[in-house]
Amino acid sequence: MSDVMRTTAPDGIKSEYGAAAQGRFRRLWTANAPGYLFLLPWLVGFFGLTLGPALISLYLSFTDFDMLRSPGWVGTANYVRIATADPKFAAAMKVTLTYVIFSVPFKLTFALLVAMALNRGIRGLPVYRAIFYLPSLLGGSVAIAVLWRQLFAGDGLVNAALAQIGIQGPSWISHPSYSIYTLVALSVWQFGSPMIIFLAGLRQIPQDMYEAASLDGASKFRQFYKITLPLLTPVIFFNAVVQTIDAFKAFTPAFIISGGTGGPINSTLFYTLYLYQEAFGNFRMGYASALAWILVVIIAIFTAFSFLSSRYWVHYDD
Amino acid sequence: MPITLSRRHFLASSAAALAVGASGVLPAWAQNANLRLIFWGGQARADRTYGVVDLFTKDHSDTSIEGEFLGWADYWPKVATQTAGGNQPDIIQMDYRYIVEYARRGALAPLESYMPSKLNLGDFDPAQIEGGSVDGHFYGVSLGANAAATVLNTTAFQEAGVDLPTQATTWEEFGKIGAEITKAGKRKGFFGFADGSGNEPLLENYLRQRGKALYTADSKVAFGAEDASEWFDMWSKFREANACVPPDVQALYKDTIDTSPVTLGKAAADYAHSNQFVGFQAVSKDKLALNNYPRIKSDSKGGHYRKPSMFFSVSSQSKVIDQAVDYVNFFVTNPDAALALDVERGIPESKAMRDVVAAKLDATGKIALDYVSGLGDLAGKLPPPPPSGAGEGQVVLRTIAEQIAFGQLSPSDGGKQLVDELSRILAKG
Repeated sequence: MSDVMRTTAPDGIKSEYGAAAQGRFRRLWTANAPGYLFLLPWLVGFFGLTLGPALISLYLSFTDFDMLRSPGWVGTANYVRIATADPKFAAAMKVTLTYVIFSVPFKLTFALLVAMALNRGIRGLPVYRAIFYLPSLLGGSVAIAVLWRQLFAGDGLVNAALAQIGIQGPSWISHPSYSIYTLVALSVWQFGSPMIIFLAGLRQIPQDMYEAASLDGASKFRQFYKITLPLLTPVIFFNAVVQTIDAFKAFTPAFIISGGTGGPINSTLFYTLYLYQEAFGNFRMGYASALAWILVVIIAIFTAFSFLSSRYWVHYDD
Repeated sequence: MPITLSRRHFLASSAAALAVGASGVLPAWAQNANLRLIFWGGQARADRTYGVVDLFTKDHSDTSIEGEFLGWADYWPKVATQTAGGNQPDIIQMDYRYIVEYARRGALAPLESYMPSKLNLGDFDPAQIEGGSVDGHFYGVSLGANAAATVLNTTAFQEAGVDLPTQATTWEEFGKIGAEITKAGKRKGFFGFADGSGNEPLLENYLRQRGKALYTADSKVAFGAEDASEWFDMWSKFREANACVPPDVQALYKDTIDTSPVTLGKAAADYAHSNQFVGFQAVSKDKLALNNYPRIKSDSKGGHYRKPSMFFSVSSQSKVIDQAVDYVNFFVTNPDAALALDVERGIPESKAMRDVVAAKLDATGKIALDYVSGLGDLAGKLPPPPPSGAGEGQVVLRTIAEQIAFGQLSPSDGGKQLVDELSRILAKG
């Protein structure tokens, strides 16, 4: 405190400490200014397009903003209503949690299996890698909605295949008990980006470990369990965190496949879809902002939990 | 995406129109007044609309118009966002469902002071002008009238050897007709009619025939739980009799023509609006027809009404309201514009324009026109515009209807729940 007092003393005499601090700052600035200059486009984007709107949405979550009139302060009323008087909040949360719990493990397992299959020195690897990545590029396009209907509708391909073994399936995509799992299947099918990351991770594992294990007579399964898996844990951890966050934020699959309704009977009403409906369908931007901030907190909790748990199962030994 | 095309060149190319519709970018012309126009619809509607823009700018060389169009689902978020951002287009295509929301929030300009000098709606049906009014001010010029209707696949009826329903057909008879078509089994996985239990206009029609309505003018639910329970119960019986499609087939329907059970070849009848008939016929190989919704008794009447299918409203933020009003007036009262527009937005409201269009209609357009003008005692008074929250109400109806159809809820509980939830939504505003 006294240092600060002295640096701003009216007589204009700066203490040695203050001068040193200022000099350090100037040196730092001269050294780093070009760096900030190069970062400028990103900084403008971050403050203008990410942080700014995020803070505005935090403010709006305490208002009754309806997009057409100026927002009015309502305190915590939005949050209270979400917690106490919104059955759709619970329904949407349940759908999203189901989606996260099923899609992330299945997708990661599938991506790892494909990555291991591709990592066996097969010819034409870049071609296969590109082909397997392709579904991820299709993302949430209308073509996917049509394709999924062709596959999972009552008279779709899946039921045609089931009919061969004498099973008469329902219309999976439009039945409230199964529709969410067609979206899980869509997510698993788009396994491209975790696969690429797994592939890179597998390449990093030294081959001599496998050779040594083979000489000692370890089976392929034992090699996987004792070498591949432990050495891959940092990559698994990274993929799990990224995919979990992505799954919480998933919007387009449900939007395109249910036509924006989240039906039948709210069975595909993702949390983000509900948020979107409230904001843009029902003109409750303030309420939707509150919903968004609750999602932020939930994702933060899941991510924090992942990081806390990581010390018990992730091995960084390089 | 900087494009520098001449206006005429641009209009000649529908591909360019699509690109502009998607990106919303058009070069600003160095002219006196520059109007922005936004509407929902497909390419066919855009071509007709830009045709009228072209006619108008030929007469008014001091005005230019930028157009932008989107599909229904993307349209409302876009308009709401533009309005919130103070960037509202001057002319906005408006729906009966949203006009109250926008007018009450001060987003639209009242237009009564422009009548009749600049806005000449003298030969409009007075009820349709009333339909564009909110709280005593006039906010929306109707671009055409339509009415709710059953779309029938006449080819499928013929194959099954079943007579088409008529104006006099009751729900009971309609159920029997549906069961017969399903039983005939001429097509694979084909049923009598779509499951309309969650269809709001269909329920509204049923309630009106019982002397009730969906909503009152002061934003209350205008029917009782027993009305809704009987409605759901009727549909449960249709489902048991295989007269309508099963719930997992109905759930594929996403409020678009291309996902309708009629279009997908799942049923011989679905429920729509008369101005959509042109669209339905365009994507069907079979011959389609229109008929009214069934009556609850052979002598019940007044379920239907002629409704403004859509409006043009002028933004209260507009700095060129005069020119915007000129364009809207041209759109609904110029004979060349009427011919360019045909009945794609509904039957023209002006009697003179109706006559101009009727003389040159093709067979499909004529079916829609004849249907709307031939409703007779089936048509009653236009209900008040739906209250705020009606959009959410539609979703609630659909969800409860699905719960009943999938056996998660009984019709009587469903009826109670519908009235409860609608009341809760309306109270919330």
